[in-house]
Amino acid sequence: MAVAVRFDHVSKKFRTGEIHDSLRDLVSFQLRRLLGKGAAQESASTFWALRDVFFEVEPGKSLGIIGPNGAGKSTALKLLSGILRCDGGRIEVNGRLAALIEVGAGMHGDLTGMENIYLNGAVMGMTRREIRQKLDDIIAFSGLERFIDTPVKRYSTGMQARLGFATAAHVSPDILLVDEVLSVGDAAFRHRCEQRMTELVRGGTTLIFVTHNLEQMRRVCDQTLVLDHGKRAFFGTPETAVEHYLSATMNVQGTVGYTDHQSGHQAVADVLGLDYLRGDGQTAVCVDPLEPVQASVKLRLHEPVESLAVTINIRHMGGELFLSMGSQSQGVTYSAPAGVCEVSLNLPALPVASGTYLAQVRVWDMRKSVLIGETPYKFSIQVEDGGKTTGMLALPHGWSDLRPVESGMRGAVVAGAA
Amino acid sequence: MHSVACGSSALHELVRYRQLLVSLMWRDIRVRYKQSVLGMAWAIVMPLAMMLIFTFVFTRAVKVVGGMNLQMPYPLFAYIGLVPWAFFSTGLNGAVSSLVANRNLVTKVYFPREVFPLSSIGSAFADFCVAGTVLVALIAYFHTTTSWDFRPQPSLLFVPVVLFFQIMLTCGLGMLLAMANLFYRDVRQLFNVLIQLWMFLTCVVYPIPNDGSFWGVVVVCNPMTPIIKAYRDCIILGEIPHGGAFWTACGCSALIFFLGWYCFRKMSYRFAECI
Repeated sequence: MAVAVRFDHVSKKFRTGEIHDSLRDLVSFQLRRLLGKGAAQESASTFWALRDVFFEVEPGKSLGIIGPNGAGKSTALKLLSGILRCDGGRIEVNGRLAALIEVGAGMHGDLTGMENIYLNGAVMGMTRREIRQKLDDIIAFSGLERFIDTPVKRYSTGMQARLGFATAAHVSPDILLVDEVLSVGDAAFRHRCEQRMTELVRGGTTLIFVTHNLEQMRRVCDQTLVLDHGKRAFFGTPETAVEHYLSATMNVQGTVGYTDHQSGHQAVADVLGLDYLRGDGQTAVCVDPLEPVQASVKLRLHEPVESLAVTINIRHMGGELFLSMGSQSQGVTYSAPAGVCEVSLNLPALPVASGTYLAQVRVWDMRKSVLIGETPYKFSIQVEDGGKTTGMLALPHGWSDLRPVESGMRGAVVAGAA
Repeated sequence: MHSVACGSSALHELVRYRQLLVSLMWRDIRVRYKQSVLGMAWAIVMPLAMMLIFTFVFTRAVKVVGGMNLQMPYPLFAYIGLVPWAFFSTGLNGAVSSLVANRNLVTKVYFPREVFPLSSIGSAFADFCVAGTVLVALIAYFHTTTSWDFRPQPSLLFVPVVLFFQIMLTCGLGMLLAMANLFYRDVRQLFNVLIQLWMFLTCVVYPIPNDGSFWGVVVVCNPMTPIIKAYRDCIILGEIPHGGAFWTACGCSALIFFLGWYCFRKMSYRFAECI
């Protein structure tokens, strides 16, 4: 029993359309088949949600599954939990498994919060005694002490989700499957959920976690599987997986931006690379938020460009763009000959919270006002400050000395009143 | 490891999830009587009301009961028929739509799918138990107010056996119907019509015609008829059901139960994608 979960070249197909909901449909379908019209439709309407996917998770490890919508992530979880059965391959699950595929799937609006905890707990495979023992913890975790005897139909969506997750978080299975349920609730609750998952993994639970929140996945998981159109696109460490995923998904959108398919134009500029350099000229993978950084872009131009501008966009691994720096907005354009050239952006610091950041390069021809080259968000840089700051920014700052304040001054009065 | 086998592993799995079965049963009961003034009392009021209606129809309006040898007051006769029938029909009624109504759970959580029809039948069984207690009061009432005499007989101990076979029949049919309705929603509509017809083909409110006519044969071929007759025999007449009809019905029930369960297990892996 070496592994907790083995997904052995698993395939799963679905039929699209042609599902008979009533007997009348069945009769007409069979008639059409008799007349020889249905056979072709059968194969055309098969859709492979997963194709030959292989992975293993050792006990006590955590696996993140990422991929674009429709990649087969949820299907994989449903196969693991036994809701669906695979059409090819083999699935091995060793241990008691609990799946959080939808928070509160087992809840009923007419029952009170308390009754729902028992019901939901039973749905998750807990015994009544187990639930009774953990009841106080569950209620405290949900933060719904005041409303626990109110029917759940009067709860807000967020409250329902909190109640559902609170119950689920207290199941202690050997293997826990979690499907994007953590996107509900406020920031504080999301944080608590993440903590709870980390706790479970530390306690020896095997975790399989589907998410779109890459940053969270990176914090929680040991390994990552990237799925794309039902196929295994990558398997490895979260950092590499994220880069792989982002470059793969962004590529698709990126190409449209600069290769003009209609006129058949080639990209004028190829971005050969982007290096991050420290003050001493050394290539940097990981920098302190307060040290100067140079981003050096290497380009190959297929033809001379009279008025070249370069933009570097940086986004956080988890999501949105937060920094866009274009040479043209500072009035800098270059007159560039054909061939390979290099241009650098100097930053006095990258004063942001610890984490992984990804950069994209865009190259413009300002005279024609067209984009002549673009890369996906694939140049990653790690910012690490050794846990000194929390929050989104890390700015240079200083504190004054402590000065005693004489009594009778305003500040003292206010402080006294408080 | 997941398996679709039937038999001991299926039973084992069901035992593992017994608490869920109880919880869902409890949910069905709670939800049915939520926001109602009479609440659980409806389980008594319904068969009593039906009893009064049939008593009125058969003894006042059409007066057909006079010629029948019931060996007990007609209201009692009707009540003993109506309570098990109500268990059977409401149990099946819940079971038919149980999978479809719990679509959310079927597609999102894994546990043995039998739990859905079985818990619906279980909640109907709770009503049956409540309504059954009223029978004691009814017997006492007719014993004291009319010339009819009730003597408790040892055959009363046979009632659980009858009940057991009725439960088997209900569960077997419940699983088959729930599954069929998942694939074809027409089943629910058909069921609503057929269950009405079935009630009149079962001697719920009148005795089995024993004139050997075609009608009598149809009535006896239906496993619910000997079962309901057996309740009356055991409770009131002090007879243990004898003869082939009852044991054939029991065999039928057991067969339907295992057949239903087997098919249900066989098909359950397709439920989530076909619902």
